[in-house]
Amino acid sequence: MIKEFNTDVVIGLEVHVELDTETKLFCACRTYGNIEPNTLTCPVCLGYPGSKPVLNKRAVEYALMLCLALDCKISPELVFSRKSYFYPDMSKNYQITQYELPLGQNGKVELSDNKEVWITRIHIEEDPASITHPGGIGNSEFVLVDYNRSGRPLCEVVTEPDMTTPKQAREFMKNLINVLKYIKIFDVNECIIKADANISVKESGYVKVEVKNITGFKEIENALQYEISRQRNALKCGEIIIQETRAWDADSKTTRSMRTKETAEDYGYILDPDLVITDITEEWIKKAKESLPELHNEKVKRYVSEYGISLEDAKVLSLDYDLSGFFDEVARKTNPILAAKWVRRELVRVLNYNEMELSDIKFDSSHFADILELISKDKITENVGKKILEKLAAGSFNVKEYVKNENLEKVSDNNALLDMSNKVINENPLVVDEYKSGKDQALNYLVGQVMKMSKGKASAQEVKKMMESLVK
Amino acid sequence: MNKIHEHINKVKKGEIDIVEATHKALEETEKINKEYYYMNEISARLALSQAEKLKKHATGRLSGLFISVKDAILVEGVQSRGGSKILNGYIPPFSSTAVKKLVDEGAIIIGKTAQDEFGFGGFSTNVNVGLNHPLNPFDKDCATGGSSGGCGGMSQLASFPHISLGESTGGSIVNPASFCGVFGLCPTYGRVSRYGLMDYANSLDKIGPMGKELYGIASVQEVISGHDSNDSTSLKNNIDNYSLYIEKDVKGMNFGIIKETFGEGVDLSVEKKVWDAIKTLESLGAKYHEVSLPKTNRYGISAYYLIATSEASTNLARYCGMRYGKEEELKGNFNEYFSKVREMNFGEEAKRRIMLGTFARMSGQRDAYYIKALKVRTKIIEEYSHTFKKFDALISPTMPMLAPRFDELEKLSPLQHYKVDLMTVGPNLAGLPHINIPVGFEKNLPVGMMIISNHLEEGKLIQVAKEFENE
Repeated sequence: MIKEFNTDVVIGLEVHVELDTETKLFCACRTYGNIEPNTLTCPVCLGYPGSKPVLNKRAVEYALMLCLALDCKISPELVFSRKSYFYPDMSKNYQITQYELPLGQNGKVELSDNKEVWITRIHIEEDPASITHPGGIGNSEFVLVDYNRSGRPLCEVVTEPDMTTPKQAREFMKNLINVLKYIKIFDVNECIIKADANISVKESGYVKVEVKNITGFKEIENALQYEISRQRNALKCGEIIIQETRAWDADSKTTRSMRTKETAEDYGYILDPDLVITDITEEWIKKAKESLPELHNEKVKRYVSEYGISLEDAKVLSLDYDLSGFFDEVARKTNPILAAKWVRRELVRVLNYNEMELSDIKFDSSHFADILELISKDKITENVGKKILEKLAAGSFNVKEYVKNENLEKVSDNNALLDMSNKVINENPLVVDEYKSGKDQALNYLVGQVMKMSKGKASAQEVKKMMESLVK
Repeated sequence: MNKIHEHINKVKKGEIDIVEATHKALEETEKINKEYYYMNEISARLALSQAEKLKKHATGRLSGLFISVKDAILVEGVQSRGGSKILNGYIPPFSSTAVKKLVDEGAIIIGKTAQDEFGFGGFSTNVNVGLNHPLNPFDKDCATGGSSGGCGGMSQLASFPHISLGESTGGSIVNPASFCGVFGLCPTYGRVSRYGLMDYANSLDKIGPMGKELYGIASVQEVISGHDSNDSTSLKNNIDNYSLYIEKDVKGMNFGIIKETFGEGVDLSVEKKVWDAIKTLESLGAKYHEVSLPKTNRYGISAYYLIATSEASTNLARYCGMRYGKEEELKGNFNEYFSKVREMNFGEEAKRRIMLGTFARMSGQRDAYYIKALKVRTKIIEEYSHTFKKFDALISPTMPMLAPRFDELEKLSPLQHYKVDLMTVGPNLAGLPHINIPVGFEKNLPVGMMIISNHLEEGKLIQVAKEFENE
């Protein structure tokens, strides 16, 4: 099917995800643990004559979980093929991958603007070895090859060209990583996630350019933004865009041409005759389904029914695996509606301000719950709560004691409020007159002055009410 | 003839000095090799160290049996090249499962036998390790057959208790067995683990025994059979007690004579000897009927060469002078270096098959050749299984000719070379067990008859072959 494009930009992604299994895809070598090059190897992952691959069932289970989590249709059989090309990082000069029949097809990922990005296919393949250029790419007389990575299990997730902005591509990657975290088949610290992007612009008549080797979701936005403006600038200068493969260089933040369509490789796929074609039984799929933890969509439903929070809050929270975990902990200790609002807004604000990830913070959910508890019991104002949270980002302390010691409890004594309000009225006769002549904003100024006097410990709403009754 | 059985028993009881016997066997092997070039490598040190162990302790089922191994089947610590210069100096760090099982049962490995490079040939003339090609044990001007030619010759000439471990992709066990006048059993695909066998075409490769004595063939087959967790294609089915079939006879068995393997293109003297053998079976109480396998006959060779070369061309990609084997001067980029190593060290036939196979799987050609060949293969398998509803086993000549002279072979085109596999590619494509039975001589050269049985019915083959074993 040829798609009719009409958007300014068309983007499709091929994402490679390393699965967090103990052993490699086709041999018993460990996947991680030793950084000494070429020590996690055996005749199979070195491609020695006579060696044969034996499939790691765990990797298939992980891939199945990913397919199910992304709503893919599962293929009835597990079939592996050989993709042939010569390269020093390929121990056999062919890669064992899936070609004819990928494990999963027709899945989808939803973005925040309700846009659905369709997954064309998800398949399993082996990782090649890693190559280092001792003198830098282009300058090296030779390269060093480390086969520790050779044969690690990968899942390749291929999307339809459904995205129209680099931001959407970034969000897709972020959501995908979120799913991987949910189903725990991916270790953020050890596993690599890499993307190749197909990108075309309207002005060129949608000539497809592939940009390879983009690591992580932040890079994808940079790479795509660069490539879009490169193509548009080229077109403005009267150049034509050709179908080609380009490499993203994260250091220089540019892409460079690798090969054009004329020199594209023919991989000469054949079925891998060393691996038997296996039926993917209903039972197998059922097992994978059962091992799936609560996923994003289920979490949204639970948040609404169990905690009574809004659908929007529930969606935003569950889209971030770590944040939603934090929310769950807080919601169990205190008012869930307040918790949802505060995790979503205040916690995220403090994290962003400090450029921190949730894993970096020094306080835990009980500190956070203490603040909310004080707010919901009307002991402190929300403003004071925000300040305490900001302070917690720098280092943890006992919230309740801190409020007591610093005398931050809310001024709820009506007499004290009345004194302060009268004082402000007396000191600002002109403003009072303005309010009386119909300028509503004048009241806000008066309220602000009382708040200032109370050092934020008074409730702005209560002060406003009182002020209204005093100056009416 | 029960020399092997006797020998094993004597070794177990300590009635034979196995170290001395090993010295003698090695000497004889050297002597034969000087004249006939059957061995790429003689593993004297390994053999003697195994013999020393057996002298102290011999309980294995194959104690003291001497085994020569096709070069493509790995023996740990012994140079293994699959008949190719590109693996010069390659000492494998592990043994094939078949060899390991044999050694565990007390067999003594005497060395690696000559073969066509990576199994690419039917006459063992495509040798590529810088040694002479093997000569027929009955006429040095003639070929041993191939690709397990060294196995065939060694099996015929060794006077000591000996079995050879051969390998067949499209006929490479029964073909040299026929030309050298010995038994050669190619088991069901997957019956023997391929772990440690250098791949020619993984969906077709099978390891099997060759030798002059059926007891040796049967007992070696019993030992090497079975599932192996290192080879996903190895079968889990129970292992038959093959040697028990030596006691059975063919009375009441129903044979199908494959019509297309007689007549045009088949040497008349070969036909005659095979028909004599069929009559012998009849006289022993067996029945026979003609049967036709039109699809196998018409499309077998094409399907075989497309599948085999497609797989082979990917298998051979790994040989590039980088991780093991022959190296050349490091110059140019990796592509230039890989090309140089491959150009300088692969033989003509290996290059031809790499190109054929690469072509057959290129996008554009893939559907018309590789994919179609896979479909044809399925049809051929169906044709056989249909036939086995009526027959216990099928009969044809093994080879359409007597062992050819080297000067005749030089005149043949590559296509004519491929066509001599006419009778053997069928059972190989279908993964069916088959055996070569020597059924007499013509012009001083042996004639072979091939029996094919249904999957996992190797026992029946032994049962039929037994009728032709010299007492």
